[in-house]
Amino acid sequence: MSLLDRLQQAAPALWSPEWLPRLPQRLVEILLQYFGAPGWLVTLAGFLVAAATVVAVFLSGFALLSLVERKTLARIQNRIGPNRAGWFGILQPVADGIKMLTKEDIVPAKAEWFLHLAAPILIVVPSILALGVIPYGREWVPVPLELGLLFFFAAGTLTELSVFMAGWASGSKFPMLGAMRAISQMVSYELPLMISALGVIMVTGSLSLPAIVAKQAGFHLGFIPAWNLFTPWGLSAGLIFYVASIAEANRCPFDLPEGESEIVAGHMTEYSGFKYALFFMGEYLGLFAISGLGITLFLGGWQAPLPGLGCVPSWLWFFAKMVVVIMSYLWIRGTFPRVRIDQLMRFAWLCLIPMALLTLPAAAIWHYVGGGLLGWLTTVPLLLIPWVILTVLYNRRMAPATRTYTFAES
Amino acid sequence: MSSQPINRLPSPAKWTLPGWGLLQGMVVTAQNMVQSYYRKDRMTTVQYPEQRAPISPNFRNFPFLCYDGSDPVAGLRCTACSICEKECPPQCIYIVLDRDEAGKSLKRPKVFDIDLTVCMNCGICAEVCPFDSIYMDGQYELSTDDRFGGLLFGLDRLSQSADYHMQLRPEEATEVATRRKAEEDKKLAAQAAKAAKTKAEQEPKAKEAAESQPQGESA
Amino acid sequence: MVWTRPIGRIGRIFSLSYLSMTPLLILSPLILLAALGAVWKARPVHAALLLALSLALIAVLYLTIGADFIGLVQFMVYVGAVAVLIVFSLLITRPGDEAEELARRPRSVVTGLVCTLPVLWVLVHVVSRLGNLPAGAVENPVFSVAHVGQVLFTRYAPAVLVVGVLLTAVMIGAALFAREPGKKPQCPSDS
Repeated sequence: MSLLDRLQQAAPALWSPEWLPRLPQRLVEILLQYFGAPGWLVTLAGFLVAAATVVAVFLSGFALLSLVERKTLARIQNRIGPNRAGWFGILQPVADGIKMLTKEDIVPAKAEWFLHLAAPILIVVPSILALGVIPYGREWVPVPLELGLLFFFAAGTLTELSVFMAGWASGSKFPMLGAMRAISQMVSYELPLMISALGVIMVTGSLSLPAIVAKQAGFHLGFIPAWNLFTPWGLSAGLIFYVASIAEANRCPFDLPEGESEIVAGHMTEYSGFKYALFFMGEYLGLFAISGLGITLFLGGWQAPLPGLGCVPSWLWFFAKMVVVIMSYLWIRGTFPRVRIDQLMRFAWLCLIPMALLTLPAAAIWHYVGGGLLGWLTTVPLLLIPWVILTVLYNRRMAPATRTYTFAES
Repeated sequence: MSSQPINRLPSPAKWTLPGWGLLQGMVVTAQNMVQSYYRKDRMTTVQYPEQRAPISPNFRNFPFLCYDGSDPVAGLRCTACSICEKECPPQCIYIVLDRDEAGKSLKRPKVFDIDLTVCMNCGICAEVCPFDSIYMDGQYELSTDDRFGGLLFGLDRLSQSADYHMQLRPEEATEVATRRKAEEDKKLAAQAAKAAKTKAEQEPKAKEAAESQPQGESA
Repeated sequence: MVWTRPIGRIGRIFSLSYLSMTPLLILSPLILLAALGAVWKARPVHAALLLALSLALIAVLYLTIGADFIGLVQFMVYVGAVAVLIVFSLLITRPGDEAEELARRPRSVVTGLVCTLPVLWVLVHVVSRLGNLPAGAVENPVFSVAHVGQVLFTRYAPAVLVVGVLLTAVMIGAALFAREPGKKPQCPSDS
């Protein structure tokens, strides 16, 4: 069969907007099949192209996000962001990239050079791995694993060890302290993250991310999407996931491990040049990954928000939701001050984990009652009453005392 | 440590919705972001060097010499009295009086140098000048790469017109202008009065001279 | 809905008879080297990281033979939790002196061999008595995650409950031990 025939055969699906992200992969597969390559080579080449597509999309997203973040934060702070490197600063990521690449790579004499080199690599790799299991569209899951969610969390836990390596291998005080704080923060916030995801797994009955998205299809009352966020346990779990994801990604207000005014740059202090760029990249790719997971678990993944919008390709909905979520992260970064390490730990262990544990029975009750009005009636008190009790208790015990001054008031 | 008991937040009667403060904070920053596109007070950045922030009238940086009219040499108000040279604390002014061939003072400076690296912008020279000729300027973009003379300002760089002074410090310049005009008017009035007086004195003498003349001629 | 598993597909690549041992042949020397390094290295942090490496490679081995769930759980629990616990404790406490450790080395080697050689003999003896397993044993795994969950919470439910109670007791005990006697926990904003 000639090449044109093959292309025509695959035609209706190949050129539709739904299949656009998979176009490179499919074209390469068809081309190799035409040239008579063995089956395993075609599959392998297909995988490589799919991986390259995901990496290319998210790396350019990372470059764009670094600029958008700076400009958004600047506007929040009454100033203009970078606008010198090209029209409205659009070439600023290019300038940053060139700067990072041409900077001198300094490794301290007391540092272990192998671990110092390996750590940034081992921080970027799990983020990219995690990006591979998220369903971006109806036809676009880079790796459709049956255990996708488990794989995602396993990749996330590798990051903690790499942060420790980065901190310890630098051989100086601030990185060690920063690494310690970073690991304790990441470990503490992983629990609410995973427990809130457990509710979703319970209701869906599968660890596979495409299955979780498929379960959230359909609309209640004709126009409310059946996303997990619009159920009481889903709202609670979603909020907990959101807050825990900010902490996992080391973003403000939980960026104590890398706050400049606190600890220089924490575990990244002794890094310069491209290794620092890799840390930066790992942080942002991790942000993409975890917001992608949150969208998959709670916001219905690539499902459209209203019934009649099926003509828009599903991956466009996913990226629109991701834009909204990432903008909210930027908004939060520009609004809140950094929390202290003890406030951070207290918040995770005493507030988020109890609330996350409560979403489990709530999800179970919802599932067995079958949702609907009865589900709302039974689960909302289960979630709301402990929340009220917790906040009352904390307002009493944890709130700072009203200060009274002996010398100032006279 | 205070001697009064510590007040804590009161009991559930005053319970506020948790997270309400957070949301209020987020609304403030959102307002800031959106309004920074069309409200001047929410975007106070001045993009130097394409734009310059307006300087206030009280800002002073380096002196300049004022001249009236359009000729910087003829209209220069400075008479080289050297009071500013003597009063300057770091002694950054150097004045040489212009004299003619006979040695008589021409009441203008031949050389008037101020060293930018020494001047400390105190404004004392402007305070003590009796001829309203030296004032503090507002130029701050004076950097140069010429190490050996670029920072020594002579008469050519120091002379600025009275209109420039008016633009720079309108209040002060208007006050100086009205005062000088009043003095000028008074002087003119005094001159006119004196001229009238001498004319009045000379007229009877001229009449007598005119009357005695034809009699002399007729005799 | 059946979602094809690329890992299963790669496993199928290795299912040809002479290729089926390749992952084991490549990984086992690496695992053994990492484990030996973990035991031999005098600096505690290096040893801890090599231990983490050996555990990660074991997880990779599980993945190549198609035991996805166990492999990922091994990664998450051992590399993500146990190794982090070990390095965290190394960060917080002050590990022993390196020279002292090296001086003790000959005696440690003897103790180690005395403890491990009998265990090794028992293991080799047991494995050699196992006989040949059928070739397609892991081709179509019977156990899916749902199956594992069901079996765990119906047939082995008492064991899970006992383990849960044990872990809770350990956590409470650790929290009690970590508190300084006679001091109530305070929030720093009080004073």
